[in-house]
Amino acid sequence: MLEIDNLFLKFNTYDGAVKALDGVNLKIKKGEIFGLVGETGSGKSVTCYSVLKLLPRSAEIDGNIILNGEDITEASEERMREIRGGEVGIIFQDPLSALNPVMTVNEQIGEILVLHQNEVINDLASEKEIPVYKSERWKASPGVEFTIIAFCISFISLFVMLGQWTFALPFLFVIINMFFRDYLQRNNPASALDLMVIEALSRVKLPNPEQIANSYPHELSGGMQQRVMIAMALAGKAKMLIADEPTTALDVTIQAQILQLIKDIQKEENMSVLLITHDLGVVAETCERVAVMYKGKIVEEATVDEIFTNPKNEYTKGLLGAIPKGGKERLKVPNLKEVEA
Amino acid sequence: MKRILSIKKLKKHFPVKNAWGTDIALVKALDGVDLEIESGKTFGIVGESGCGKTTLMRTLLRLVEPTSGSVFLSEEIIGTNVVSNKLEELTSEELRKFRREIGVVFQDPMGALNPRMIIKDIVSEPLVIHGKTENIRDRVIELLNNVGLGEEHLYRYPHEFSGGQRQRIVIARALALDPKILVLDEPTSALDVSVQAQILNLLNDLQKKYDLTYIFISHDLSVIEYMCDRLAVMYLGKVVEEADTEELFSNPQHPYTKALLSATPSFDKSKEKIMILGDVPSPITYLDESKAKLATEMTEQEKLEIKSIEGKGIDYIVRSSLNEVVPLVQISNGHYARVK
Repeated sequence: MLEIDNLFLKFNTYDGAVKALDGVNLKIKKGEIFGLVGETGSGKSVTCYSVLKLLPRSAEIDGNIILNGEDITEASEERMREIRGGEVGIIFQDPLSALNPVMTVNEQIGEILVLHQNEVINDLASEKEIPVYKSERWKASPGVEFTIIAFCISFISLFVMLGQWTFALPFLFVIINMFFRDYLQRNNPASALDLMVIEALSRVKLPNPEQIANSYPHELSGGMQQRVMIAMALAGKAKMLIADEPTTALDVTIQAQILQLIKDIQKEENMSVLLITHDLGVVAETCERVAVMYKGKIVEEATVDEIFTNPKNEYTKGLLGAIPKGGKERLKVPNLKEVEA
Repeated sequence: MKRILSIKKLKKHFPVKNAWGTDIALVKALDGVDLEIESGKTFGIVGESGCGKTTLMRTLLRLVEPTSGSVFLSEEIIGTNVVSNKLEELTSEELRKFRREIGVVFQDPMGALNPRMIIKDIVSEPLVIHGKTENIRDRVIELLNNVGLGEEHLYRYPHEFSGGQRQRIVIARALALDPKILVLDEPTSALDVSVQAQILNLLNDLQKKYDLTYIFISHDLSVIEYMCDRLAVMYLGKVVEEADTEELFSNPQHPYTKALLSATPSFDKSKEKIMILGDVPSPITYLDESKAKLATEMTEQEKLEIKSIEGKGIDYIVRSSLNEVVPLVQISNGHYARVK
């Protein structure tokens, strides 16, 4: 599915080049969950950003990235735009900063669907004979509605004071229309886009998706925000999902829910998932194969069982020893000098 | 067993006001907490965000005044020469003395260190405030050596250190006045595993050296299991289970504790899986009776109990806000839980 071949990456700064990746080789098969573990600054996030070319201009890339048999190392910006959100979906660590605070969930997921699933939306609209993008139901934000009502009332009172109350009738009509809006619009259909958004939200098992579609990110809890992020990443029918520390900002119980959701969806759609995390426990729960990164290099790659029962590399051993376990014996701290030697 | 602190029926309710400034609801951050903390041991408090862990810590330090209930202090902390041993009845002079005996380490070390002060000033500040200015430089160096830093770090600013080193500085400052109790509010949640291991080792060493009592707040159960002797699980402002660590981990009674234990990612694949459905319920209680009734009706439908869903091999728990008061029951010696 995804193959990263001898990837080097450095950032040019005023104080000279900073090496971020130092020959990374990765192979992710179709339909597997692959874990990438490492500490802060080991280069795990940068690896996934370089797959999607979400790097600053100072970055200098060398190596090959092959997605689904296609070499995307030199891909054009237009092609990359198709890949991001289309073939590869991404989930970031902090859902609240990844979601746009001034757009409703509906608008944000709709944007991705219009970009990547336009044909499907058109088909659905012609099949059901409903509008494509904009529903015929009309509703403005509370602030706009308040302004309209205030405007109408002031004009009505103006005309009533002037004794020309017939001029006030159109404004009265607007107010009455707004009060009976829900009743008047009961037969107007929702658009195809709205239906697709609701379907995307119900795929991530959010309760009452209609209500969530119309809310803003800050109105949702952390777990729900992360579910919306996953819905967004999957909306473009992604074949591969990159999850960059998806559960670091969440509580353990919510973390278990989100991990279970990622596992379920992966099984249903036979997707490949690249799970980036610093928590070895998360890897043990979800992944099949795992790579350990240190200083821009992959120091060990194996199946999960192998890495936890029989780690080969000194650094991996240190990392495993540092996790507190049941007993009260002193924790082993990885000795980094030994690792480098 | 020697008690150093005991908390009796501690309540802290924050009012929720409407636009006209009248109270419409209460957030029951702490709702009748009883705890007894042993001297020289580590007491752990676990729970998810919003369950009242941090409010409990703040009331213990008297940074917020409790609504009712009290914290009783032992002679070890405030001495015999006092009118009352209740924390909220201390005079300002006694409170100063109490603050000397209790140190705090916060979650985010960069937020706890003033970015415009050098390390020497940061660590010596409590000494200056409490008037212990003799040999202050030597004392600061001694404190830094205790936490694995040295004289060369004296004149640096906080931003020049890594996350683990910053946390060491915070610990050094907390120990400056030889406290008897150290309150640790998620001291390692911002750190990597290997750095976390270093800090936990350091805390264990310091505890042995100075015979400290730790109050350890965390949501990471593996850290809690490693560090703590006794443990309380909090859920929506109440202690739902309290026991010695080994007992609690081997024989959890409350459904929430069971779910929490099984939610922790681990290497053991044979472990029984229990999932909690839904998000944390709101801790708000409405004062208006009709609204309060509506809220209880909603939770009545979803009791916190373990439900098995067939075919998946996973047990599910449906949340409720635990509005019905289930009393703490003694399960075995020193093990209490709110179960029927």
